[in-house]
Amino acid sequence: MVQIKYLLLISRQGKVRLMRWFGAYTSNDKTKICRELSTTVLARKAKMCNILEYQDHKVVYRRYASLYFVCGISSESSNELLTLEIIHRYVEAMDSYFDNVCELDIIFNFSKAYEILNEVLICDGSMTETSKTNILKTVASMDALETSDNLDQVLS
Amino acid sequence: MGSLRTFIKDVRGAKTLAEERSIVTKESARIRTKLKDDHLVPDKRRKNIQKLLYLHILGEKTHFAQVECINLIASDDFRNKRVGYLAAMVLLDEHQDILTLLTNLLNNDLNHQNRYVVSMALSTLGSLTSPELARDLYPDVENILARSTDEFLVKKALQCAAKLIERDTTLLEIFYPYVGSILKSRQLCTHGGLLGVAKLCQVAVSCRSRYEYDNYPEILQSIVHKIPEFFSILQDMNSTNFSAEYDVSGTCDPFLQVELLYTLRLMFELAPQETAQYKNKLNDLLTKIATDSAGSKNSANAVLYECVRTIFALQLDQSLKVLGVNVLGKFLSGKDNNTKYVSLNTLLRVAPQEPKAVQKHKMFISRCLSDPDISIRTRAVDLTFAILNETNMKELMDELVSFLKLSGEQEKDLIINVVDQLISKFELYAVESEWWVIEIMVQVLKIVGQHISFDKVSNVIVMINNAQDLDHKTRLIHETLELSLGKKEEAIDGDNLGWKLLSVWCIGEYGDILLQRNMFLETELTHYLCLVNGIYSENTKLISYTLTAALKLSAKIQSPSCVEDLRQLINGHSKDTNIILQTKSVQYSFILNQPASQRHDILGAMPLFERSGKNGNGSSGSKPMVKPQEQNLLLELLEETSTSNGAAAGNNSETLLDIFGNGSSDGASQLLKSSTKADPIINIPQDSVETYQSDDMQVFFKMASMVPGEAHLELYVRGHAQISNLQVLAAASKTQKLVMGNLSMASIAAGQVCRQELKVSGSGKLKFRVKLIHEGPSGLTTDQFDHKFDQSL
Repeated sequence: MVQIKYLLLISRQGKVRLMRWFGAYTSNDKTKICRELSTTVLARKAKMCNILEYQDHKVVYRRYASLYFVCGISSESSNELLTLEIIHRYVEAMDSYFDNVCELDIIFNFSKAYEILNEVLICDGSMTETSKTNILKTVASMDALETSDNLDQVLS
Repeated sequence: MGSLRTFIKDVRGAKTLAEERSIVTKESARIRTKLKDDHLVPDKRRKNIQKLLYLHILGEKTHFAQVECINLIASDDFRNKRVGYLAAMVLLDEHQDILTLLTNLLNNDLNHQNRYVVSMALSTLGSLTSPELARDLYPDVENILARSTDEFLVKKALQCAAKLIERDTTLLEIFYPYVGSILKSRQLCTHGGLLGVAKLCQVAVSCRSRYEYDNYPEILQSIVHKIPEFFSILQDMNSTNFSAEYDVSGTCDPFLQVELLYTLRLMFELAPQETAQYKNKLNDLLTKIATDSAGSKNSANAVLYECVRTIFALQLDQSLKVLGVNVLGKFLSGKDNNTKYVSLNTLLRVAPQEPKAVQKHKMFISRCLSDPDISIRTRAVDLTFAILNETNMKELMDELVSFLKLSGEQEKDLIINVVDQLISKFELYAVESEWWVIEIMVQVLKIVGQHISFDKVSNVIVMINNAQDLDHKTRLIHETLELSLGKKEEAIDGDNLGWKLLSVWCIGEYGDILLQRNMFLETELTHYLCLVNGIYSENTKLISYTLTAALKLSAKIQSPSCVEDLRQLINGHSKDTNIILQTKSVQYSFILNQPASQRHDILGAMPLFERSGKNGNGSSGSKPMVKPQEQNLLLELLEETSTSNGAAAGNNSETLLDIFGNGSSDGASQLLKSSTKADPIINIPQDSVETYQSDDMQVFFKMASMVPGEAHLELYVRGHAQISNLQVLAAASKTQKLVMGNLSMASIAAGQVCRQELKVSGSGKLKFRVKLIHEGPSGLTTDQFDHKFDQSL
């Protein structure tokens, strides 16, 4: 089981590209976590393991090209190895959606990145869908609905 | 006002941080004014909220526009709704007051004819559930579970239901039947649906203590009855054929497998009685997964890891535990650092339960000691100590020493931890060869002496001092000093003060032997002491060792110029600002001026040094003791303080012993007050009272003198057998102050007598509780008794 407390996408320059908090955090806490984790994670060498202990919980991260995907997970029950797979599944989904995703795609289309994430993780950060096909199908249908709404408006 | 895209471009295009800030602040202010306008068209409103989301990612404040998200949700346009729900999920949390505004909107949308609107409403409810929302909206969620045939909505409704129950446990009663109904339905029981069912089961078993109604047993029963179905789902997933859709590098949907394993683990853990009948099946299933699961991919390992966690969390059969340890051992042998990390972490927890099985993998654990990753190394160190025992000690100690060799400056804490644990292990296990221990410790000092406290170095010095084999000792010291004096290729780090301390002590103590055997020249040794004295003048402890060494060496060499150098070294500190060094310097110059024969007596070889702390003679007594209400507690406490005090004093007296060796002279006798010089024979006075008798000893109390407000007492102990390391602790009543005086001898033979002096001041009855700690024929024994005198103060 994995319960994700938060997911941060941090660029190699230490800029936050996306953040999602599954639970109530004060804005001070959020800023602190972002700042501390970007320093810690960026300072780690490639050969080091992708798991670290932070505050009272664990953090699992993985680097894809210029972006670090950083997940805070509850310490006791969460499976660290599976967290890496969840991150990977999310990246795969984005990769298919954007057709070879890059950092710029996520910067300019952050709402799409959020929408995809919402189909993978729900409520307190539990996984709700494991099939990449299903995830993409849902997001695509919702996009289609938007376009048709747009069309309706133009026609009327 | 530009579009979101232009805004993002502008922010990215900013050359300086100040420029970026000004763009962001301006845009933020503009959004604020725009959103205040009630007549803003919905399209514009949506764009502003999108910008707001971007501001949120930049870490800006967004609280001013929270209500706007809700306005967007109220819109009929799907695009507006979508952004509105997204903003609500990202920007709000369950503690915000405006959530009440959401209730009606969610209520409408949960019954919307468009499945995507329903899905967004479910996700939002799941993220922002407050107890109020849970109570108000559960019927809508239940409605979806009861009526919908859409797998997409059901999987989300299940997750949402689990969250609602977490906020309000009474809702369990409403939702638990859906575990069964979903499992039955072919259409709804997809992987997503199963994830939801699993979540619902987890909540159902873990909210046991919070659930208020008395129908919990039925609910639990109905959930537990589904265990066989979970078994068969897991079994199917581990059979050969599965859909490519769920394949993750050769493993069938590890996400669902792990979720189901965890659900089973929770059920067996939290409802052990109800699940007892399925335990054998669980064993079989876990064995099958743990043995069949092949491949070294992370996805397969994630499932294996969950299996192992289940095995140890539930304390399953011995054979399974061994299997689990072996799986972890296999993880260690792999290349992937993450699997190594989780394996070490789990093994650390398991090692106390299954020491033998874990020890089998010590080769791989040792290999992790040299891993480039510090977090792996740290855990490998802990695990190495956890599995260390008498039989594998030699092997593992060598590994640890090579670990220390590789360690870097920035790992100071880890190094200190390793050295501490090393020493405590040496104390714990009886080691046959004392030389092996000494050599390891000297090696450790050589590698990381700069991080080791002088207390620890003193321990090593005591070990060397107490070692019997003189030839071996000389060889070791010869090697040590060759390194210090730069006669070997290896160089000792200038910061390595621990090593310097050892070298200085060796020169002072064994200079004569080294010179006799022509290992070093007098000038070399003298020069080294002068060098240390010059470079490390800041370090009091090292300098005071150097002073002592200089004094001792001066009695062992012939060359007048060297003696003169040493004299100057000692005299150089006679005006030292540090009072300890100054005192030493003055006293030592005094000794230097004594005739050679007397000097030789004072500066003889050190006797065998007994570990401080074990015998608290003399030093333990000098602490005033006050008696509180709870006598026993106090005595425990006193024991603590007196031993630690003894240890501290022991360190000071070490240097004293260092100076005086065996004999003593008139010139230095003042200094001897605190060491234990005693009359050889003490007789028990006639007027003493016998107060206590045991197999080992007989104790007498005597009132030596008494004036109003103060009394001197003497306690006599006559040994019935050989007694050593005697320690006397006493407590008087609260109104009095008790000062322990000298104990004449800590070790007495049968029939011999020793005396402990006590001084009491204050008022009230003279009552004492006395505790005698000693090593007798039957090992370490503690005797305790109370005594009351007729007189009062």
